[in-house]
Amino acid sequence: MTLEAIVAIIAGGLVSGSLYALMASGLSLVWGTVRMFNFAHGALVMVGAYSAWYVSNRGGIAKALQPIGKSIVANGEEAGALGGLLLPLGEWILSIKGGFGLALGVPFAILCCGLVGYIMYVLLVKPFVGKPGADLVVIITTIAGASFMQNGVQVIFGPRYKQLDRILKGPPLQILETAIGLQEVLIIVLTPLTLFLLHLFLKHSKLGLAIRAVAQNDDFAHLVGINVSQIYPLTFVVSSILAGLCGVMLGGLFFILPTMGAQELLFAFVVVVFGGLGSLPGTIVGAYVIGFIRESSAYIIDLYWAPVVLFATLIIVLIFRPRGLMGGEDS
Amino acid sequence: MTPMDERRNIRYVIWALGIAVFLAIPHVVTDKFLMHLAILGMLYAIVASNWDLTLGYAGVFNFAHLAFFGIGAYTSGILAVKYGISPWLGIPAGGLTAALASILVSIPAIRLRGIYVALLTFACSQLVLLLLLSQPLITGGQQGLTGVPQLQIGDFLFRKSRFAHFYLVGFLLLCSTIFLRRLVTSDFGLSLIALRDFEEYAVARGIPLARQRLLAFLLSSIFPGLAGGVYAHFLIVASPDIFGFSLTTLLLSMVLVGGVATIYGPVLVGVVMTFVSELMATSAWMSDVFGISRGPVRFMFVAVLIVLTMRFFPEGVWGLIKRFSARARDAQGTATEEQSQIT
Repeated sequence: MTLEAIVAIIAGGLVSGSLYALMASGLSLVWGTVRMFNFAHGALVMVGAYSAWYVSNRGGIAKALQPIGKSIVANGEEAGALGGLLLPLGEWILSIKGGFGLALGVPFAILCCGLVGYIMYVLLVKPFVGKPGADLVVIITTIAGASFMQNGVQVIFGPRYKQLDRILKGPPLQILETAIGLQEVLIIVLTPLTLFLLHLFLKHSKLGLAIRAVAQNDDFAHLVGINVSQIYPLTFVVSSILAGLCGVMLGGLFFILPTMGAQELLFAFVVVVFGGLGSLPGTIVGAYVIGFIRESSAYIIDLYWAPVVLFATLIIVLIFRPRGLMGGEDS
Repeated sequence: MTPMDERRNIRYVIWALGIAVFLAIPHVVTDKFLMHLAILGMLYAIVASNWDLTLGYAGVFNFAHLAFFGIGAYTSGILAVKYGISPWLGIPAGGLTAALASILVSIPAIRLRGIYVALLTFACSQLVLLLLLSQPLITGGQQGLTGVPQLQIGDFLFRKSRFAHFYLVGFLLLCSTIFLRRLVTSDFGLSLIALRDFEEYAVARGIPLARQRLLAFLLSSIFPGLAGGVYAHFLIVASPDIFGFSLTTLLLSMVLVGGVATIYGPVLVGVVMTFVSELMATSAWMSDVFGISRGPVRFMFVAVLIVLTMRFFPEGVWGLIKRFSARARDAQGTATEEQSQIT
C-alpha cells in the first residue's frame, strides 16, 4: 500500500468518523437519558442542511425576498415619508441577492434543529413516556416523524438537489502529496472541538450535570430536585443540534436532498450498537473505528462492499457482546 | 344450537358473503384505475398482515419485513429479465429467497432484545438496499429494474383482462389470511403470545424461545416474498423505493391502524389505506392545494395518522370493531336472559 493511500484512508476515516460521531453521540445521549431511540435523527440532519441552505444560498430566502424588495423600491418614491423610511430596507433586501452566507446560515440551522427537536419531543415522545412498551412505540412514531419531515421538505423545496457553500474556499491541502479538501480538514478539526464542548457542557454546566443525573437514575434525580420533565426535552434539543451540525457539514460535502441522512443514520446505528448504547465515550470511539473500517474496506475491497464489511463486524460484535463493546447494563 | 355453534355459523356466512362479493367485484367495477388500486391494496394487505405475525403476535420489532417483500420482487424480476425464467417459477423462487433472507436476519436477531432487534433488522433491510444499488448492471440501480415481463399463460396476457390479476392476488390474500389465522390460533401462535407477554414464565414452561422466534420470522416472510414477485410482474418494475421510509411508514400504518395482533385488521385497513393514499395522490383537490408535488403529501398524512392512532386508538380499527360487536352481543345476551326470566 502506498503512502498516499494510507494518508487518504486516514483522512477519509477521520471525516466519516467525525460525521458518525456527531450523529451517534446525539442518539446515544437521548437513549441514555430518555431511554428512547430516535429514528428521525437522520431527518434532523436533513433539516439542518436545508435550513442552512435556505438562509445562506442565493436560491433560498434571498430569492424569495427579491420581489418584496423590488416593490418597496418601486413604490417607495411615491409613498412619501413612510416610503422614504422603507426605501433603505428595500435597497438592503435587493443588495443581499446572494444570500446571507453561512455566518447566518449555521446559527439558523442550529435554531431550526433545536426547535424541530423540541416539537418532535412534545408530539412524538412525551405522550408515551412512562407507559409500558414506550420505547417501541416511540420507534414507530419517530419513523412516522421522519417520513413526515422528508416528504414535507420535498413539498416545500422540491426534489431537486441543492448544495451548500463550502465554509472555506481555496485549493486543497497537500499532505504527503495527498490532496485533502479544506471542507474535510474543517470537519476533522471542528468535530473534536464540538464534542469537547459537549463534554464540557455535560461535565461542568448545571444543565449538563442534570442530564447525566437523569441518565444515571431518574428517580433519584427527581428526589434531589431536578425537574426530569424539563431535562427530557432539553436532551432532545441538544441531540437535534448535534444532528443539525452534522447536516451542515454533510451539506458542504455532498448534495442536499430530502432523503439525505438516511444512510448516515444507518451507520450511526452501527456505531451506537458497536460502541454500546448510552455510553458516550464508547460511541465516539466506535464512530472513529467504524469510520476507519469503512474507509479502509472501501479502499482495499470496493466502495460498495464497505457496508457489508461493516455489517459483518456489527453482527459479530452483537453475537459476542450483545450490549456493544463498551455498553453497560441496560435493557 | 349452542351459542358457540351459532357464532361459528355466523362466521361461515360472513366468509361466504365476503367471497361472493369479492368474486362479483370485477363484474361490477369497470374502472381500470380502481381495479388497479384494489390489486395493489390486496398485495399490501398480504405484506401488512404477515408483518402482524412478527410485530403483533411475536412482539418482535422486525423492521426487515419490507425487505422480504423487496427481495421477492427483485428475485422474480431478475430471474425473468436477466435469465428469461418464467414468472410462474420466479414468483415461488421469490418466496424461497425471502424465506432464506428471513432466516439469515433472524439468526442474529433472536439473540437480542427490544431496541437492539429493531436496530439490527432495520440495518439489515438497508444493507439489502445498498447491495441492490451497488449492482446496477443486475438490479437497475437507483432507477429500479425495468422491463419486468407481465404475467401470462400461453397467449393470454393478464393485463388484458379485468379478472386475472384481481383473482390471482385475491386468491393469494385468501390463502395468506387463512394460513395466518390458523397459525395464530394454533399451539405455535399461543406459544408466541406467551413469549411476548411473559417471556421468563413461557421459557420456564419449556417453550424454546429462539426456535419459535426464528419460525415466526420464517413463516411471516413466505407470503410477502410471493406477493413481491407478483408485485414486480404486475407493475412491470422492481424499484428500490420499496425499502424507503415512505413505504415502510405506509405499511406500518396498515398494521397499526388495523389493529396489532388481529390479522384481519391489517388485511382490511391494508386495502382501505391503499385507496385513501393513492386517491389522495391523484385527486384534483390535493393538486390545487399543494401544487404539483402532491405525492409526498399523502405520506405526511399517513405519518400523522400513525401518530394519532398510537396516541388515541392503540388497539386499532379491528379492536374497535371487536369491542362494539362484543357490546352488541352482551346487550343481546342480557335481552334473551330477561326474556327467559319473564317466561
